[in-house]
Amino acid sequence: MNMYKTTFSFILIFIAVMQALGQKPKLVFSAHWMPQAQFAGYYAAKDQGYYEEAGIEVDIIHPSASVNAVEFLATGEADVISLFLITAMQVKHKGLDVVNIAQLSQHSAIMFVAKKDSGIETIEDFDGKQVGIWLSGFDELPRAMMDKFAVEVEWVPLLSTVNLFLLGGIDVMTVMYYNEFNQIYLSGIDREELNIFFATDYGFNIPEDGLYTLRETAVNKKEELRAFVDATLRGWAFAAKNKDYVLQLVIDIMRDNRIPSNKAHQSWMLDKVLEMIDLDNKNLIPGKLHRDDFMQAFEIIRYQYDLDFQLEYNEFFKPALNLPQSN
Amino acid sequence: MLNKKSLSFRIITRVLLITATLFVLILTLYYFYARNSIQKTTREYAIQLAGNIVGKVESELKPLEKIPQLVSASIGLGFFQEDSLIRILEEIVERNPSIDGSCIAFEPYYFPDKGKYFMPYVYRHNDEINTSFLGGNEYQYFYMDWYQIPKMLNKPYWSEPYFDEGGGNMLMTTYSHPIYINRDGTPHFIGVATIDVELDKLTDYISEVKIFETGYAFMITRNGVAVTHPDKTQIMNTSIFSTSEEWNAPVMREIGRELMQGKSNFRSYNIPGRNKRWIYYTHLNSLRWSIAVVYPDDEMYASLKQMNLLLLVLIAVGLLIISLVTTGIVRRLAAPLQQFSNSAHEIAQGNFEVELPKELNSIEMQELNNAFKYMQDQLAIYIEDLKQTTSAKEKIESELRIARDIQMSMIPHSFPPFPDLPQIDLYAMLNSAKEVGGDLYDFFVLDKNKFCFAIGDVSGKGVPASLFMAVTRTLLRSIADKHKTPSAIMNVLNKSLSLNNDSCMFVTFFLGILDIETGELRYANAGHNPPLYIKKNGKVLFMDMGTSIPLGLVGDYPYSESTIKLLHGEKIFTYTDGVSEAENASHELFGEEKIHEVISKYNDADPQSMIRFMTESIDKHVDGFEQSDDITMMSINFKGNGSA
Repeated sequence: MNMYKTTFSFILIFIAVMQALGQKPKLVFSAHWMPQAQFAGYYAAKDQGYYEEAGIEVDIIHPSASVNAVEFLATGEADVISLFLITAMQVKHKGLDVVNIAQLSQHSAIMFVAKKDSGIETIEDFDGKQVGIWLSGFDELPRAMMDKFAVEVEWVPLLSTVNLFLLGGIDVMTVMYYNEFNQIYLSGIDREELNIFFATDYGFNIPEDGLYTLRETAVNKKEELRAFVDATLRGWAFAAKNKDYVLQLVIDIMRDNRIPSNKAHQSWMLDKVLEMIDLDNKNLIPGKLHRDDFMQAFEIIRYQYDLDFQLEYNEFFKPALNLPQSN
Repeated sequence: MLNKKSLSFRIITRVLLITATLFVLILTLYYFYARNSIQKTTREYAIQLAGNIVGKVESELKPLEKIPQLVSASIGLGFFQEDSLIRILEEIVERNPSIDGSCIAFEPYYFPDKGKYFMPYVYRHNDEINTSFLGGNEYQYFYMDWYQIPKMLNKPYWSEPYFDEGGGNMLMTTYSHPIYINRDGTPHFIGVATIDVELDKLTDYISEVKIFETGYAFMITRNGVAVTHPDKTQIMNTSIFSTSEEWNAPVMREIGRELMQGKSNFRSYNIPGRNKRWIYYTHLNSLRWSIAVVYPDDEMYASLKQMNLLLLVLIAVGLLIISLVTTGIVRRLAAPLQQFSNSAHEIAQGNFEVELPKELNSIEMQELNNAFKYMQDQLAIYIEDLKQTTSAKEKIESELRIARDIQMSMIPHSFPPFPDLPQIDLYAMLNSAKEVGGDLYDFFVLDKNKFCFAIGDVSGKGVPASLFMAVTRTLLRSIADKHKTPSAIMNVLNKSLSLNNDSCMFVTFFLGILDIETGELRYANAGHNPPLYIKKNGKVLFMDMGTSIPLGLVGDYPYSESTIKLLHGEKIFTYTDGVSEAENASHELFGEEKIHEVISKYNDADPQSMIRFMTESIDKHVDGFEQSDDITMMSINFKGNGSA
């Protein structure tokens, strides 16, 4: 306790000194994917000066083809990253001591699509079929789903396009409701031409995007992280109310990063991501990882990879915000 | 300005209406025909233009497909050693300026000593040929579209375009051909051979296509993504489907889907808030991309609209000229009409010699002139006739007036007639319908105490009736000198009138002789209306007449007489049928009942008042309607010697 106090005092002094020098404490945040509306809240918070107002300076970086966000975290290039809950647990299982400091998304957006003319009507019909999956990870839940239904599929790793699916090279594709699902629509396939399977409809409503740091960072930079999460939530609230403005912000960032973008798709993505964050839902506490969601994700990791894997909710979820105590 | 009812105005408005309708009809037909023709021509031109673009793109890209095809086949047949591959790739890039890079990528561990990744790559950079070996954790080519798709689909693949990584901001596409080796008789996939092709020359070519002012050509990929676009920032970013969403224009998605299905079509489309456009789209066989040419509707028909405007102006000018010319012609043709009108006014004022218009420019006017001339002559003759007739008539009228004076002088007309006979008060009046009439009345004293009075009505009217009346009256006076009873007087009078009465005229006649001492009234009647007897008690009776015929018809007809005795103050009222048959406008007769009613009402009145009341009553009944018969009334009041 004394130690904790000393550290806390030290941080306060550090912040005070930095501010006196005209420099704010700096955080580097890495999104877990390329720039797109999925991260609109962060861009908005930075654009609107919410981070500065909260007394911190934030750099937003994105993974590249060669380095992913987890690696940024492990090497210290990023202080805080966004990640799927289940991916983060897998990272933890593999040995990197990450903690969840805020759960932003509260629902799952993972789904499967198959063209109707493929004759695939049910999950059972996936058996023996080639199913596209992201090469970059985020595949724990789809794999767990197939296990649950005892369906053997041939996974076909994909980088980032939906072209192989459009051309009929694979029968089924794992997609995000807010992203690839709409990309397929915007490539000219009508929704009526697809059979769709939402993970949530099969008992896999596991929330996705959350914020993660190394355990020591969560302690050492507690104040900055709290400021970061708080300002980020403000950023999302701003995005929800100023969609057109934020969309243009997103598109500009994408263009700067030479990533193809258009308003129709980013608008869809922003809408759907906001639905998952669900800020207006009075039953949800923004930033909170619910114990049930934690348990469901934990069970998937356990059964999928390691039945001996142990992880305590309180050890994994270290909220940066002071959340009201409930389940 | 023109009067709306004038001949010129009517002719001009009708001519203009018909001409304008005709013009509009012709213009409309022309417009639709020309429009149709423009649309047809545009369609043909669009097909040709798109065909040229397709030809250009195909001729640039199609031949290049041979290279990876050949490389794949050669490798599959084992012609090349892995270490000679770079040399081959260098040859390919060096010898083909349109190829900017070429690679051969193999399946993991295909050459065990080369490791998991083996991908020799040669590319052009700043006009220099560079070589490298790609592949690794940061470049896992197995999962890239250009590798994965031909592998999974077992056929060559033109990739979706992308901007090159070199930073030249060049739009590239990659053509990949799968490589197979024959293993136990079945083809076995071992990798792909590719070429990278820069698209800028092609996209520049397409972007430079200008159609009218704002029309353009564009190329989109099989996913609908824009490869060319008027706004460069949209290239590779927007697709026909995303634009469809952003503009809320489902028609674009519809077109996009037709393109994906490889359809060609010429059609128009409307996007809310934008001008209508025509589009022709068709398909590239090699890349399965699409070419479209867009024609703004308003620009397409701009020349037609200009032509229409010109025609409208010409029509307006034409109509103006027609109306001016027509006005001139009509005015010139109708000019004599005004002169005729003036002449007619002159003629109406009696100047029959007035000159008629001379400059007559049409047969119709000549005919009108002849008619006028004839009218002038006839009028002159007629007026001359009329003058003579009128003077003759005036003469007759003056003679008739004299005759009337004479006639009226024959009957007594000073009242009271006998100031020295207090026993009798009498008043009479005769009102002829024409200058001279056939009614008569008379009264005179026969001897000391006999008072004779008579009233009559000759058949017919006018001069003959008045002459007959004069004869009757003259005879009456002379006969009454010799015969002292009514019947005797009547019989002699009848006989005299019947003699030589070839024209069969007759007279109804009532004659009374009153003894002014006793009040005895002896009377005879010859078919005349029965007089009214106003009794002392005020009762009014029609006098009993029996039947008789008028005088002058049957010479020896025996007329009888009757006697009543008048009391002092009793009255007799006699009248002719001009009273009872006085007509109003609805041909209702005054009638005997009405006479009886009036007399009953005024039974106390003196004779003059009684006749005045009766006259007023008749006037009221007739209400201004023309009098058709003589009206004669005579009223006698027997006052006696005042003792009663």
